[in-house]
Amino acid sequence: MRLENGIAIKASQLSQSFRRADGQLVDALSSVNFEVLKGQFVCLIGPSGCGKTTLLQIIAGLLLPSSGILEVGNQVVTRPSPERGMVFQKDSVFPWMRVINNVEYGLACRGVGSGERRAIAEHYLERVGLAHVARAWPRELSGGMLKRVAVATVFANGASVLLLDEPFGALDYVTKRHLHNVLLTLWAETGRNKPRTVLFVTHDVDEALILADRILVFHTGRIVDDLALVAPRPRTTDTLLMPQMVQNKHLLLAHLGLETKQAGTGATSSIVRAAND
Amino acid sequence: MGRKSRRRGILRIDPVGIFGVFLLIMIWQALTLALPPSSLPTPSSVVARIGRDFIRAEELSFYGLADTGLLNSMIYTATNVMIAVALGSLVGTIAGFVTARFHNVRAILDPIVMTMGTIPILVLAPFFLIWFGVERMSAVLLVVLYVAVILYIFAQRAADNLDPVYEEYAYTLGASSKRIVWDILIPGTVPQVLGGIRIALAGAWGLEAIAELLGAQYGIGKIIQVLAGATDVQGIFAALIVLGLVAVISDGLAALVFAHVAAWSAAARPGGN
Amino acid sequence: MTEVRAFFRRHGVSIIVLGVMAAIWQILSLLYTTEAVPGEPMIPGWQVVFTRTLISLSDYWQGGLGVPSVAEGAPPSYTAALLAIVSNSLDTMVRLYLGLLIGGLVGTFLGLAVSWSKWSRRTVELPLQFIRTLPLLAMVPLFQLWFGIYFAGKVAFVAYGVGVIFFAGVVNAVKNVPQVYIDNARTQGANRVQLYLTIILPSIFPELRATILLSLGTAWGAVLGAEYLGAQSGLGYIIVYSEAFAYLDRMFVVALLFVFYASISYAIFNRLSLKLLQWMPRVGRVIVVG
Ligand SMILES: Nc1ncnc2c1ncn2[C@@H]1O[C@H](COP(=O)(O)OP(=O)(O)O)[C@@H](O)[C@H]1O
Ligand SMILES: [Mg+2]
Repeated sequence: MRLENGIAIKASQLSQSFRRADGQLVDALSSVNFEVLKGQFVCLIGPSGCGKTTLLQIIAGLLLPSSGILEVGNQVVTRPSPERGMVFQKDSVFPWMRVINNVEYGLACRGVGSGERRAIAEHYLERVGLAHVARAWPRELSGGMLKRVAVATVFANGASVLLLDEPFGALDYVTKRHLHNVLLTLWAETGRNKPRTVLFVTHDVDEALILADRILVFHTGRIVDDLALVAPRPRTTDTLLMPQMVQNKHLLLAHLGLETKQAGTGATSSIVRAAND
Repeated sequence: MGRKSRRRGILRIDPVGIFGVFLLIMIWQALTLALPPSSLPTPSSVVARIGRDFIRAEELSFYGLADTGLLNSMIYTATNVMIAVALGSLVGTIAGFVTARFHNVRAILDPIVMTMGTIPILVLAPFFLIWFGVERMSAVLLVVLYVAVILYIFAQRAADNLDPVYEEYAYTLGASSKRIVWDILIPGTVPQVLGGIRIALAGAWGLEAIAELLGAQYGIGKIIQVLAGATDVQGIFAALIVLGLVAVISDGLAALVFAHVAAWSAAARPGGN
Repeated sequence: MTEVRAFFRRHGVSIIVLGVMAAIWQILSLLYTTEAVPGEPMIPGWQVVFTRTLISLSDYWQGGLGVPSVAEGAPPSYTAALLAIVSNSLDTMVRLYLGLLIGGLVGTFLGLAVSWSKWSRRTVELPLQFIRTLPLLAMVPLFQLWFGIYFAGKVAFVAYGVGVIFFAGVVNAVKNVPQVYIDNARTQGANRVQLYLTIILPSIFPELRATILLSLGTAWGAVLGAEYLGAQSGLGYIIVYSEAFAYLDRMFVVALLFVFYASISYAIFNRLSLKLLQWMPRVGRVIVVG
């Protein structure tokens, strides 16, 4: 297990409401409280529209909460900082920069010398398996490759808090599994000297079970459950079949409305809502 | 979604923008304090001038334009623009559709229209004035040509971009070519074609005005030419603002009407996206 | 050699069509022999254009460089005609490109400045829309009265016409920059200036390219309009001066020059901008009418 010393992220009574163009008030987050320990890998899971992206935007400092306080490393977040890196849900790789320039962008913004930042960028491109396309334009890359560029960028920047918003949501199964391994390796290895805290948004239950130390379940702007996963790493297909993992999976499926709440074990009790509609 | 909100945006005026217009008038007013009225008249004097010259402008009869005012000059100019935009749109759109579907015609017409598109249309004005005289005809033809070129490009591109699946589907249902034109091609391209007409209309006012400036007996451009000869800046401002307002209003009206037409076409016909 | 062949393969039909257009012009000139004034055919054939007309352009040579002008009593010559073409073309182009440069820079700068905050953008949007709708070409006399009928008046007029287009184009393009790029840069530590230089400028460039092409058309129209209504030199001046005497053949030659220059300026800009935009997935062709 990883060493956990201190609190990385702390949300107190965090609320966010939006006024939509038609005048209606939407509560994207209502009085959310949680703490995340340094170095923890936390998955946020919940149906779409429940406020996951909103929470990540607040932590990134792109959005000021309507009320409540969000602290990262004992400082109240008011603006973006390279300490908090984000992989966006939409494609965010800059199409007008070559791949390598994308990866070193944040370092360049902070005035890191060109030789040094080039070396760092090349290292992380290598790690995500994209060394061969360093000089390519983003338009020449597939969707999965673009996500890998985004992951390399966020690691190259050296942020201690990583916010990933459904980064692999639109990818095929094989690519997704491959990228899980890349992400976990990078997270684990840099964790020794500088722990990286990860908030990973997903709506994929298996993805959360493979990746997370802890799963926060969201529903309509609130945290409705908080599960700790103690299964050892690296997790394999067999890990997912361990009794407590199977139980957690049932619990999560129930939260997502795919199974009845009192479901115990076995797939026989599962109800697919769509079948009833 | 984007389309819908944009359509609503046509009718909605940002209150901050109204403040901006007010600010623009204030800046104008402030500039008149620094400049002599012979260079820059005050906003209020221009408004007064518009009122005075609206039906009959005394000054103009000194310079040989008897019984002329802003109103009847504007009507002359607007009539020419309307005729030209209607005619040019018709010719340009038909040519655009034909070339989008018949590649032989396209191979011939495309280079001609591209050449026309690259030349400043204004180069033709002096030729037209000699060939067709300083009557209505020259100015109208010039604007027709300009509008036709724009619509040719817009209609052709719209027809090119229309998903062929609609036409193929209609063919499999046994529709005749004529029905396909009326039921698929036209409704499917209406929004883009109307967008082209709006752009053409906006440019047509200036072209008509300068054609009148270069040689005409009537029209708002003729008034500006006469007043420029007399270095009457206030009068030029009055004429320009009337012309500008008519251009803005015509564009707003076109936007409103077209939004309704496009809504109907997109909702009622399968091809309208 | 292969380059020439490739050129013809790509533009073959266009070249043939242009050739046919030239031939039709010649046939028309033979069929329709009416004269505007005695000795001046309404449709001058090519045999007239390349001999008598060309040499008559020496009228517009002001003298100097050891080649005396016709006004000084010298006989018309091809040398003087050529110098007349070059010097008048240069006059027009300097007005055009200087106006384009000033208008483009000022317009872009103001557009970026106004886009700095949401409020300043919303303030200028409506008045800008009104100013854009004011018919540019009808404002030539106003600029002549303000800035004079000489050099400054024409450059100011072109700059104004181009500046308004750039201003509006930039404001609109900045508004359309995808928020995710701005957010991404900010989370990586970009400050406001870096944001403008590395994110906003490159991502508005594709839209700006259409703006620049549009402004090229406007600039050619504007410089012509300004020269029609008062100039002592330039291609537009030759055209209106010839019109007064119904010298259709001279007008025709100058119009051809205009077409030639305008086409070249579009082609060069297209080439350059496509090179700058090689990161774009697919750049659609933009056609302008001026
Ligand atoms: N800028 C905005 N304006 C209005 N409503 C918004 C805005 N951003 C998000 N919302 C609303 O807030 C809710 C939560 O959105 P979001 O955080 O994006 O959900 P998700 O969990 O799918 O990421 C949704 O109902 C959404 O419609
Ligand atoms: Mg989301």
